[in-house]
Formats: sequence, structure tokens, C-alpha cells
Amino acid sequence: MRRVKIGIVATVAAGTLLAVWGGVASAREADSTASLAAAQAKLPPLPADIRSRGRFNIAVKCDTPPFGYIGARSQNAGFDVEIARLFAKFAFGKPNRVTMSCVTTPAREPALTTGRVDLVIATFTYNTDRETRIDFSRAYYKATGRLLVKNGGSVQGLNDLAGKTIATTSGSVYDRWVKNCYKDTKLVITDGFTNALLAFRDGRADALMFDDTILLGIAVTDPTTKLTDDLFLQQPYGIGIKQGNVALKRWVDSRLNLMKKRDLFFPILKNTVPPKQVAPFSKNILRPKQTFAYNQGDITTVCS
Amino acid sequence: MSSLLALGFDPSFFSDVWSFVDANADELQAGLRRTLLVSAIAIAGAFFIGLVLGAARAHRVPVVSQLAAVYVEVIRNTPILVQIFFLFYGLPQIGVRLEAFTVAWLAVMIWGGAFNTENFRAGFEAVPARLREAGFALGFGGISTFLNVTLPIGGRIALPSSINTYISVVKNTSLMYVISYPELTTTVLQVQALTLQTVEAFTVLAATYLIIVWTLSALIRFLESHLALPKAL
Amino acid sequence: MNLPDWVGDVARYMLEEGLVNTLRIAGISLAGAVLIGVTLGTLMTIRFLPLRGVIRLYIEFWRGLPILVTIFIIYFLLPAVSLSLRFEALTAAAIGLILWGSAQVAEATRGAVQSIPREQHEAASALGFGWVGRHAFVIMPQALRRLLPPLVSLLVNIIQNTTIAQVIGANELLESGERSVERLTAPPPIGLGEIHSFEIYAAVMAIFFVISFPLTRLAAYLEKRLI
Repeated sequence: MRRVKIGIVATVAAGTLLAVWGGVASAREADSTASLAAAQAKLPPLPADIRSRGRFNIAVKCDTPPFGYIGARSQNAGFDVEIARLFAKFAFGKPNRVTMSCVTTPAREPALTTGRVDLVIATFTYNTDRETRIDFSRAYYKATGRLLVKNGGSVQGLNDLAGKTIATTSGSVYDRWVKNCYKDTKLVITDGFTNALLAFRDGRADALMFDDTILLGIAVTDPTTKLTDDLFLQQPYGIGIKQGNVALKRWVDSRLNLMKKRDLFFPILKNTVPPKQVAPFSKNILRPKQTFAYNQGDITTVCS
Repeated sequence: MSSLLALGFDPSFFSDVWSFVDANADELQAGLRRTLLVSAIAIAGAFFIGLVLGAARAHRVPVVSQLAAVYVEVIRNTPILVQIFFLFYGLPQIGVRLEAFTVAWLAVMIWGGAFNTENFRAGFEAVPARLREAGFALGFGGISTFLNVTLPIGGRIALPSSINTYISVVKNTSLMYVISYPELTTTVLQVQALTLQTVEAFTVLAATYLIIVWTLSALIRFLESHLALPKAL
Repeated sequence: MNLPDWVGDVARYMLEEGLVNTLRIAGISLAGAVLIGVTLGTLMTIRFLPLRGVIRLYIEFWRGLPILVTIFIIYFLLPAVSLSLRFEALTAAAIGLILWGSAQVAEATRGAVQSIPREQHEAASALGFGWVGRHAFVIMPQALRRLLPPLVSLLVNIIQNTTIAQVIGANELLESGERSVERLTAPPPIGLGEIHSFEIYAAVMAIFFVISFPLTRLAAYLEKRLI
């Protein structure tokens, strides 16, 4: 009988704790939603067509970690994906009110121009040529081009590129920049980053050119390689918006500014890149005291 | 013409296409040249592979026949795109590094060779037995019979299906897009990405392939009528 | 056999999403190709030159173009022509395969129908059948039986060719493999920091082989049985 009494008390206590905790959590959730709603009260409203739909349609990458990829549980994951979820929370109060479609690099623009998606958050580098066909939000992530080389290899910097071979992905800014500025350098262009990495590892290319976020991870895990000191093609990513959709651009820019003010990019960065890399890449995101903008002109034609 | 206009057909379409070709003539003809070069090498290779292995299979040559069967079944039952991936990205892991051009002709040659092996095998097996026996009766040995009887006749029987395989080889060179080998499809798509003249680019792309393929098909019909076996056989 | 840890999740993604989509595209494409192809092939045997000409043009067009180019045209060109013609990747791939497949089936059907001896037509007419009745009850059943081996081969071809959809990013088996490779290459905690393309692409080839080989054998068996 005593044991039964203890059992009942324990269950009631546990139940009360759970209820309180759940209540606090959902209150916090409601609180944060409420605080988000309050913060957005004075900001531009969501365009009516998206509001009536009740969901965002956002295009993301599905094969470009750490920005957009498919995780082990077959879910969309990554820096850009987290931004998409946060946008859904801004718009509809719930982070799952977004339908994410996978796009490959060449399919990003058609996805916007044909109205397939509302926004493209897919490592979309700004350039003035693209600007003539679609609109970009304000810059949200500053990527820098880096060069990965083998320790003691024949290429130790951008100055050594004459007559050598570089691996990079098709349709990237690196592809065009090398073709414009390093005419005597050969290119191995691949489909997808892993194939470029393989080409570099197997000696088919002397150096690998890509974003700092991704190459740093490789340099850290592979001690036979290192990044050269060269920093180039610093052109930020932007969110792609259909041309002329002023209302949506206002909404996106205002929310990006809100995220910057409240340092909301930092927790997203911590969730999506390995802990050792959070510090170096915290310089690439928008923070209360950190901002950056697009360079005008086509950077792929600017040779240093 | 007026009915086409009524359908919304814009007569300046042709001049748009022409100016697209004119403006990008260098890249386009380079791409076309590469497509034709890769196709030519692959077709020649597929011809020899089909001939040799088809003969081996038809004559049940031990070991070679079984190995050829494995080769044919693996290639025919797996997608060519995955075969291309393997040659370009998989082989380097065991130390064999091939450049894009090599993978381009090698992949379609291996693919075409497998199908051609079956074409020639069927052709050789379709040669009536009495003709081969006639060869033996005339004092030809095994190989001579093959060269003088089976090959000319079986080769002609296999001609239509062989040429169909060669046409497929030409079409499959378009898949080299995935290893960024700058053949016709890759080149046109790169130009289209830069100039955004989607309609003109795809018109040129489609028209070029159709011209190549239709010419080769007309070749089959011509060869079929001229190389037809006499009714007596 | 002790498989590494990463295999479970990758296998689940590839089989539950990639392979399912591959089979879905293949099924829809086969159905569409057969329906359209048999119809067109039968219509081609009617002695009406303009109709024959139009169908012949359809056949030569979609058989002449590489399937990759056809799929590109549907996915990239159509939306540029008219906004209402935008299709998502899996749909565009299926449409491309239906166009190509129907051209193949139409040609094969024409051949099969024309291979039915004239005596069958004459006998059916003698029994009082009109054109439709003749074809529905006498000619087509025989023609369709002759069509079976090439149709099974076509199914194998369609299944292989669904991989072309990877190029436009449709999540079929090859693409699901590629996405898994990219994830595993990234350093932990996202992936493993290891490249496993060889294993994953080998698995893709093996899965296709296991599906296709029995079908190829079936086509050969049907061919023998019908002679």
C-alpha cells in the first residue's frame, strides 16, 4: 500500500513537472512567436498572395553542404534551409509552413522566372548580369573564394597557376573567373563539389577552387592539404526574388535586417557548421556590428 | 504561311536563329566537330568490338564467349550515365586517370560495342548452315569459312541493327554534358546560359541532331537496298 | 557482414525516395508510351497519306533527338515559351520519356500490324467485320502479342533512361546517390568527411542490374516463344 502511495505521488509529481515544463515551453514558444510578431508589427507586410496560400515556396540546394543538403534522416538541412524555416516562422508563426524544392545551379533562375517558387535561397551569388533578369535581396552571406592545394605541391598560390590545372564546379563564379583571368590555366569542371574534390585528390587537378566555407572543412580534415593565403571573388550571396516583386523584396530585406539586428544568423551558423569553424565564419554573416554589400560590376571579369 | 502567323508564329524567328548561329559560330562549330569526332572514334571501335566478340559468341569460342556474355549483360542492363560516372569519377580511385575526351569516346564505344556484339552474333547465327557447309565442302578451314562466307553474309544481315546502334552512339554523346566535355549539347547550353536566347539555342541544338540522325538513317535505307542479299540466298 | 554506420541512412534515402521515384517515372512513362504509341502505330496503317506523314514526322522527331535534349527542351524551353508550361523535374522527365517511348512503340506497332498476313484481314472481312471490328478482334490481338518482346525491352530502356532525369535534378536513384555522396563528403557533424562515391555509384549500378537483367531475360524468352 505504501509502495502504491509512493507510486501515485511520483506519477503526479512527474505529470505536474511535465505540464509545467510543457506549459513554460509552449509559453516561451508563444512568447517568442508573440515577440516576433511584435517585432514585425512595424515592418512591411507579407504579400497577399503568399499570405493567402499559407505557405512559402522556397528553392534550396540539396547537394551543397553546409548551405543546403539532405541530412541523414532524409530532411532538408543547412544554413540556407534554416533561413527559409525562419522566414516561414516570421510569416506564419510556424517554421514548417514552407515547401522546399531542390534546385541545381542552372535551375535557380528559371525557378523564379517561371513562378515555380517565391524565393531562392541557394548559395545564389549576386552579379550584375543576373540582376537584369531577377531581383536580389540585400546581401546575407559573404563567401570568399579560396584555393586548396597539396602541401609542397606545384601550386602554392594564385601566382603559380600558369600552365596548371584547377578543379571547380560547372556554372560557378570560379569557372568563369579563371576562364577570363587565367587564360593559360586549364580547368577540370565537374558536376557537384565531391567530384571536383576527387579530381583534385586523384591528381587530375593541381588545385581546387571553391568557397571558403566548404574548403576550410576539407583542409581541416585532410592534413596533406592546405588553403593558400589568396582571398578572391568576394561576392556575397543574396536571396533571389522574381523581378518586379517589390512587396516581397521589401518583406525579405526587412526580415534580413531584423535578423541582423537580433544576431539571429549566429545561432544558425552554430547549428550548421562544425564547432571549430564557427569563429572564422562568424565574419561571413550579418551581425549587429557587421555588414557588407554587393560589389557592382561583374566580378568574374575583374582580374586582380 | 498566314495560318502559321495565325498560330502566333513569328516570321522573324528564322532570322533570330540565324543571328544566334552567326554570333556564336566558333563555339558551335567546335562543339559539333567534337561530337562528330567522338562519334566517329566510338563507332569505329564499336564496329570492331561487335565484329570480334560477336563472332566469338556465335562460334562459342570457349572463355572469350563467356567473358563477352558477361560484358554484354552488364553494359546492357545498367544505365549509360552511370557507366560514364564510373569511368570519369570511379576509375581514378584505382589509379586510372582519364581525361574528359577519352572518357567521352571510350564510354560510348564500350556501350555501343556491347549492343553491337549482339547484333553481329545474331547476324552470324542467321547465316544459313548450308552456306557454311558449302564453304567447308570447298576446302575452306574454319577461319577461311568465316572470312569468306559467314562474315560477308552475316555482316549484311546485321547491318540495319548495327547502324541503329551507331545512331544511338551519336545521340548518347550528348550525355558527355555531365563530365563537361564541350561537345555540341554542352556547348549550346553554355552559350544559352550566357546569352539567354533559349528558343534559338534549343532550335539549333534539335535541328543539328535531327540532321545528323536523319542522314544516318537515310544511309541505312540506301545501304539496305544496295547491299541486299540476293533472293537466292 | 558489418556494414559501416553511414550505410543505413543512405540506403534508406536511396531506396525509399530515389528508387521509388525511378520506378514511378518508369511506370508512368511506360503506360503513356504504350497508350500513345499503340494508337499512333495503328493509325499509321490507315491508307491516308497526310495522317501517315504527320505520325511519321512525330516518330522520326522524338526518336531522332537524344533523350537528354528532349528533357532539356521540356524543362528549360517550354517555360520560356509560356509560363503555364512549367513542369517540375520528375514530371518533365516523364514527359520526355513518354515522347521518346511512344515514338519507339509507334514504330514497333506499325511493324507488328503490318506483319500480320493479308489473309487475316481478308478472312475477317469475309466474316463481316468492318475496319474497326477487324482491327479490334483479329489484327490487334495478334499484333499486340508480337509487340510483347520489344515492349519488355522498351521497359528496360525506359528504366535505364530515367537516370537522365538526374541532370535536371529530379530525385531519382542516381541523384539520391549523388546527394548522399555530397553529404558524406562534408566534415562532421554534417557528414563524415569521407568520399564514398565509388561504393554508392557501384550500388546504383547493381540495383539497376538486378532490376533490368530479369526483364532482359524475359524479353529474350518471349521472343523465342513467339517464333
